Amino acid sequence: MKKLDVERSLILTAVGAFLFFAVGAALTTIVPPMVSPQMWHSDHPVHEYTEQELRGIDIYRSEGCVYCHTQQVRKLDSDRRRYGWRLVEAPESESWEYVNDRNNFLGTKRTGPDLARVGGKYSSEWHWAHFKDPRNMGEKFPNRKGIYEKVSIMPSFAYLTDEEIHDLTAYIQTLGRNKNWRVDKNGKPLNDYEK
Amino acid sequence: MKQDTAAKMMIISSCIFFGVALTMGILTALKFVVPTVGDIEYLSMPRLRMLHTNVNLFGWLLQANMGLLFWILPRILHTKLFSEKLGVVMATLYNVILVAAAVCILMGKVKNVEYGEIPAPLDYLVAVCWVMFAVNVFGTVAIRKVKYLYVSVWYTLGAVIWTTFVYITGNMLSQMVSGVNQANLIWFYVHNAVGLIFTPLGVAIAYYLIPKQLNTPIYSHKLSMIGFWVISFVYVWTGAHHMIHGPQPHWLQTVSIIFSFSLIIPVMAVITNFFGTFATAPRGTRMNGPIPKLLMMGTVYYIFTCLQGPFQAIRSVNEITSKTDWVVGHAHMALFGAFSYYAMAGVYYVAPKLAGRKLFSDKLGDLHFWMMTLASIPFFAVLWIGGVIQGFAWLNPANTFVETLEALKHAHWMRLASGAVIFGSYFLFFYNIMQTFFGKYGEEVAAETEVAE
Repeated sequence: MKKLDVERSLILTAVGAFLFFAVGAALTTIVPPMVSPQMWHSDHPVHEYTEQELRGIDIYRSEGCVYCHTQQVRKLDSDRRRYGWRLVEAPESESWEYVNDRNNFLGTKRTGPDLARVGGKYSSEWHWAHFKDPRNMGEKFPNRKGIYEKVSIMPSFAYLTDEEIHDLTAYIQTLGRNKNWRVDKNGKPLNDYEK
Repeated sequence: MKQDTAAKMMIISSCIFFGVALTMGILTALKFVVPTVGDIEYLSMPRLRMLHTNVNLFGWLLQANMGLLFWILPRILHTKLFSEKLGVVMATLYNVILVAAAVCILMGKVKNVEYGEIPAPLDYLVAVCWVMFAVNVFGTVAIRKVKYLYVSVWYTLGAVIWTTFVYITGNMLSQMVSGVNQANLIWFYVHNAVGLIFTPLGVAIAYYLIPKQLNTPIYSHKLSMIGFWVISFVYVWTGAHHMIHGPQPHWLQTVSIIFSFSLIIPVMAVITNFFGTFATAPRGTRMNGPIPKLLMMGTVYYIFTCLQGPFQAIRSVNEITSKTDWVVGHAHMALFGAFSYYAMAGVYYVAPKLAGRKLFSDKLGDLHFWMMTLASIPFFAVLWIGGVIQGFAWLNPANTFVETLEALKHAHWMRLASGAVIFGSYFLFFYNIMQTFFGKYGEEVAAETEVAE
């Protein structure tokens, strides 16, 4: 019988390399959503984005916000405490919260803070001033001035039109709100989100 | 059509794109320390970053690798390139796509895929180019005049097959799903873009250049086999390690961690093989000129980056390093430190052969190597040190976020400074290669061409 010699055969090398690869490829791309349906299915109500918010998502993507801001509160105490607000810790992000995100912005790099639960933390007026000039937010937010002026390295988005900033802000105010996480010790909603 | 036209086109073009990509890199680094520089839409930091990564990956590294393989494959297989015409058409189309893609990115017309920002339909055209490249690779192997396939050929075949699936998954299929499921497909692409495109192509080139340059046979055939077959099995599983502690299924994270760790096996096999070849080469001449130096240093960076990877994937280490500057340092060492070094060695090796004369200046090549290397060590180091500082600063809730950012000020300045030296040394490389191709210098002799039979 002729010895099977992979190194002499284009077909055997190519097919072998493909099969070895295909095992892992299938098990890490096709199988996970089958085994773990929470990756694409939600038992809880999930916010449907409005026209304006969808425009905001397009701006968020084309301005590349994701390269400095993640959108995931990880299962770590430090994340829960840092991204909580007014004495309530931020609950960790769960996969069902993202099922309506055709553009996911989970991100891999935090040059700026995480935005997973930022919706409702700051007023839209605050966002307006911050987009215009992150280092000098004007007279209305004097207590923000000192440290922001020195340290923030966020680019200014003053070149966006007023309408674009409104759209972007509308999207940002939805972030993390699929879970009503502002609750007191007895689980009663605080409803203290900023508008 | 004249032999090696496609290789020449792609190598020259990739050297130009390398400069563009480094310019974007240095501008981004500048914006980290002086954020108000160039405060206009088309020069905003995220756009520059997208351009930096895409031009580096597709314009420089992938193009250089494809050009080098268009030259190397026929030499290994003792034949001609399957179709020079197809190669030239592909090289032209590819460069047109790249320019169009760069314009789209500057305008903000992008996908939400990291490393895959190039929007439709341009990404589909990239896939078309890849198929044209695949036809040429398979065709050249099919018409070979040697019986055995050398290691470099295995890696090239593997890369061509794997990348086709990886690219389609990340750029096209990912756009059809949403949420965490989409994130999983995108990170499958992002990680395998490095692991199953640039790793096999870079290793293929090194497997050709190291024994050829040192005039020494490869250290161990068995290690070559272990390296190749293990990497083709284990690499693809690791995408989810970018999302450890995140919202995706816990079992998927664990799988990616286990396979990230097993990557030590193929990497060590390849590295032992490379170092073994260096060790058995004649001592007096083995480090002469820029080529072996770049290959050696690239291999050293390859060890570092591939040992970092598995340890970063451990949950407790990941808690500190993930999402910080550390990861940026890690990515730079893989793509710049290891694979760009191999690609530059390849360009230094192949350019004189294409021009039919000696390299313009070996001394200049050495200077380029030392400048780039001595600058890249602090460049990587400040990113890691900065990343660890950042990671620990985040753990303490008493620090506000801006305070944790302020702690990185020095690291960011240092990155700009060392990055500037790397940027400067690029011009030595570029000048040397352009002189070799087009310059007028006396030495028309020593036309040590290696014509394919």
